[in-house]
Amino acid sequence: MNNTASVVIIGGGISGCSIAYNLAKKGVKDIVVIEKKYLTSGSTGRCGAGIRMQWGTEMNCRLAKFSTEFYENANDILEYDGDIEFKQGGYLIVAATEKEDVQFRKNVALQNSLGIPTVYLTPKEAKEIIPHMDETKIISATFCQKDGHLNPFHATQAYADAAARLGVKFMKYTEVTGIKVENNKIVGVQTDKGFISAPVVVNAAGGYSKQIGDMVGADIPVYAERHQILVTEPVNPIQNPMFMSFSLNIYCQQTPHGSFIMGRGDANEPRDLRVTSSWHFLEEMAKDCCELLPLLKDIRVVRQWAGLYCMSPDRQPIYGKVDNVEGFYLATGFSGHGFMFGPVTGVVIAETILGEKSSLPIDKLGMERFAKGELLFEPSVV
Amino acid sequence: MRIEEHPILSFNKGKKVNFVFDGKTYEGCEGEPIAAALHAAGIMVLGHSHNKQRPRGFYCAIGNCSSCLMVVNGQPNVRVCTEKLQEGMVVETQVGKGDLK
Repeated sequence: MNNTASVVIIGGGISGCSIAYNLAKKGVKDIVVIEKKYLTSGSTGRCGAGIRMQWGTEMNCRLAKFSTEFYENANDILEYDGDIEFKQGGYLIVAATEKEDVQFRKNVALQNSLGIPTVYLTPKEAKEIIPHMDETKIISATFCQKDGHLNPFHATQAYADAAARLGVKFMKYTEVTGIKVENNKIVGVQTDKGFISAPVVVNAAGGYSKQIGDMVGADIPVYAERHQILVTEPVNPIQNPMFMSFSLNIYCQQTPHGSFIMGRGDANEPRDLRVTSSWHFLEEMAKDCCELLPLLKDIRVVRQWAGLYCMSPDRQPIYGKVDNVEGFYLATGFSGHGFMFGPVTGVVIAETILGEKSSLPIDKLGMERFAKGELLFEPSVV
Repeated sequence: MRIEEHPILSFNKGKKVNFVFDGKTYEGCEGEPIAAALHAAGIMVLGHSHNKQRPRGFYCAIGNCSSCLMVVNGQPNVRVCTEKLQEGMVVETQVGKGDLK
């Protein structure tokens, strides 16, 4: 193993791999990514894999747009041998309450002003996009054709392969057990395979980023929330877009393979790091799905799994430095959207570490916003 | 082909019933797996592989392997090795992964 590094990135998910690639592309040498298990073994490999630009805050819209445009060309840019399987079948987000309808009208205006081609639809128009939907359950819907989904395993591997070609070292099955800080400066990272001296550490540990933050005494205001997903047997394609409702707590899409995947979380669960599956989820998810998409009532469930959302207080990412710990950087708090923000995360964190001008104005996404109380709440999350 | 005698299992054959497979009428025993009735009628190809569309026959016989997914009474992806035959069933060869209707 390497005993020294210029940058240690903790977490081998999409964020960590994207940050490593972007730093290496800018000429940084001796980058090490530490992953407790295998690449994508945490939240990235467990996520719903949807990509959307339909957000309720300007910041999230911009981050998502940047990332979507990257994913459109990622196979070429990253010179990937495989295919990240980006399919832009759109997102149909339905409003089931008056409050949501009001919010969605605002969201569409905001999104359009930023160049995101979302349209506002009546229930009848929404049914033309997903014919097997029960449109009597909704008030309105919004649709953006450029949204879609891609394969999180391939997307992460594409970044990891490109990073490795630029010299990035990946230490898999290696657990960070401590971070050494002297005189408020990062000195290195202790792992179960030895100590690595490094002046810069990036916390891209997803559901575990709170625990990593605690190692340097940075009290990051995030917590892990279990979200669950089930997958069905495959059938011939019938649903192009992702179907989503915030108030009904559901997202459901048909993958290119033909299986449907659908998921949700439960905000009232204990805040721990469990990724076990529950029968409550299976029963409730199936019931709600069949009410909204009745055609799916006879399809069989193949299996289910769970992963962790890293929830921030305002449901927006936390990017950048931490006061009083020089060399410690955060890429966390994605609140369930770290995979879709992966490309922009890599770019802005690399720029922040190198002291360059940021491609996007992320100054409002620093951790200091919580102390100052300057929060911009994202209203549109599942 | 039908197993008439078995050293361990005994068969309580149901009454003769008619069913339709791909438009033709066949006879089987009520309550036996649909796959057994098809086999008895000489029909060995039950499904096809997704990628190369190669024929798939009777394999695991316990509803596990997805070799025998067919459309039964309009419902796709029915495992005919475990689904019991009933009078008047309409069984069809499934094209691709099956259509939800």
